[in-house]
Amino acid sequence: MLAGQIPILSVEADTIPRAYEQAIKEVWEKGISIRTEYDRPEDPPSRDATVIIVVHEPFAQPRFHRSFADGLGGLAEYVMEVVHGAHDYWVKPLDEILKGKESKDTRWTYTYHGRLFQYRVEDQVIDQVDAMIHKLAQTGYTRRAQAITWNPKLDPPTEDPPCLQRMWGRLCEDGEGGYVFNMNTHWRSRDLFKAWFENVIAITTLMRAIAERIEKKMRAPVRVGRYADICDSLHIYGSYFREIEGDPEKGIKSFFEKLESRSFEERTWHSGFVKPYFIDDGLGKGLKPMLERETEMPAEVRQAIDKELRSMEKDDYIV
Amino acid sequence: MEIYAQIADEIVKGQADSVKELVNRALSENISAEDILNNGLVAGMNVVSEKFKNNEFFIPEVLVSARAMTAGLNIINPLLAEANVKAKGKVVIGTVKGDLHDIGKNIVGMMLQGAGYEIVDLGADVPKEKFIEFTQKEEANMVGMSALLTTTMIYMKEVIQGLKDAGLRDKVKVIIGGAPVTQAYADQIEADGYAPDAASAIDLAKDLLD
Repeated sequence: MLAGQIPILSVEADTIPRAYEQAIKEVWEKGISIRTEYDRPEDPPSRDATVIIVVHEPFAQPRFHRSFADGLGGLAEYVMEVVHGAHDYWVKPLDEILKGKESKDTRWTYTYHGRLFQYRVEDQVIDQVDAMIHKLAQTGYTRRAQAITWNPKLDPPTEDPPCLQRMWGRLCEDGEGGYVFNMNTHWRSRDLFKAWFENVIAITTLMRAIAERIEKKMRAPVRVGRYADICDSLHIYGSYFREIEGDPEKGIKSFFEKLESRSFEERTWHSGFVKPYFIDDGLGKGLKPMLERETEMPAEVRQAIDKELRSMEKDDYIV
Repeated sequence: MEIYAQIADEIVKGQADSVKELVNRALSENISAEDILNNGLVAGMNVVSEKFKNNEFFIPEVLVSARAMTAGLNIINPLLAEANVKAKGKVVIGTVKGDLHDIGKNIVGMMLQGAGYEIVDLGADVPKEKFIEFTQKEEANMVGMSALLTTTMIYMKEVIQGLKDAGLRDKVKVIIGGAPVTQAYADQIEADGYAPDAASAIDLAKDLLD
């Protein structure tokens, strides 16, 4: 590797938790040391690489790793944010977004759902996901079914511009009269240790929702295929090194020791275990508490989440 | 295995239904709610807390255990109130105004509750007036503030100033935490303590309150 060149790494696995663990190991061992805008002065530089991660069966079990920075109920709410726009109403008004760093309004400047489903171009609002579905149902092999998030006017001046940049999909015949929906996502930047897993659970849930809508439109079986995740900068922040490295003198295990001390089953969860927590985690998070708590959520979003909740309560629904 | 150890064990495993069943059985055997709390529920959460501190537990596992502990606590809470059993201290916690991130705050709250403290959780996006109101009304011993954004952590200073103006600052300890927060910032705004992560926050709170 020539000095100053960012490594390009690749990871391939059958399930999400396997891919996640492999990616952390790869970036930790082979990533470059480089600073990010989010490192504090006392933090070491982050570990970083350009990475492509392929998950062959995103809904294969176990689907959930136990290492992420939230509870299961919180994860469920995040999935609703990406798939149904649960928190689109937390985005601040356009005139505040345009103020960039000068804005005192601390509400969000975007949501992925907002950008994918209601992308604004001049005076038009475009549902890019609907367009993807329409295009794929019409011509499955098209290479033009994609949705973007970046807004060159709104995003460069903000503190937290979107990480996800583009979502792309294509159908392939499965040889049995049905189709396989393959999806790629492209990310500008990504916190591998504390965001990647939750992002992927949400994005693959969206992937399944898209496949279901295409299936309905085509009146032919469409199943979820492989998911490819491409990051320009996939990183482990310097502030996490304490957690990754542990502290043998204080008896604190390293992240990798923690993984090695348990079997794969003991560091993951199956969807069946997770589902009741997605519905209500007993600590004020999950779909039911979210609907009770967020009284300002628009009615149509509430209806979509309520519908999801009713599907989730059925036995055959996989979270 | 005695019933206290069984309750503690089921909390570590995150089995809410088993904890409920065991707590009910303990009550039917005339074991006091206070003993169930201290020897079963708190003992179980102490193990979870220790495992989390030593990086042996993942964050979602802590919350699964907390749910199990809460299931037991919900059964004995009315009995504890009846018997006038006091918590070790009262902590008002919240994520400061403008910030909707609450996971770090939730974990600290759950662990402190599991350690025998009473938690008054004000939620996220909490204005200083609410911190002051509840500190006064609840006669809290500690205020814990969390922020995940550089743009919102500056509000912690306003809350501390508000506590000073209300004549409450000398009566409560103030601890702060969150990704952008540092010890230097804690010193600058005259907080009593800063913790870089949830596990350290528990030790810090215990040190300041005990």
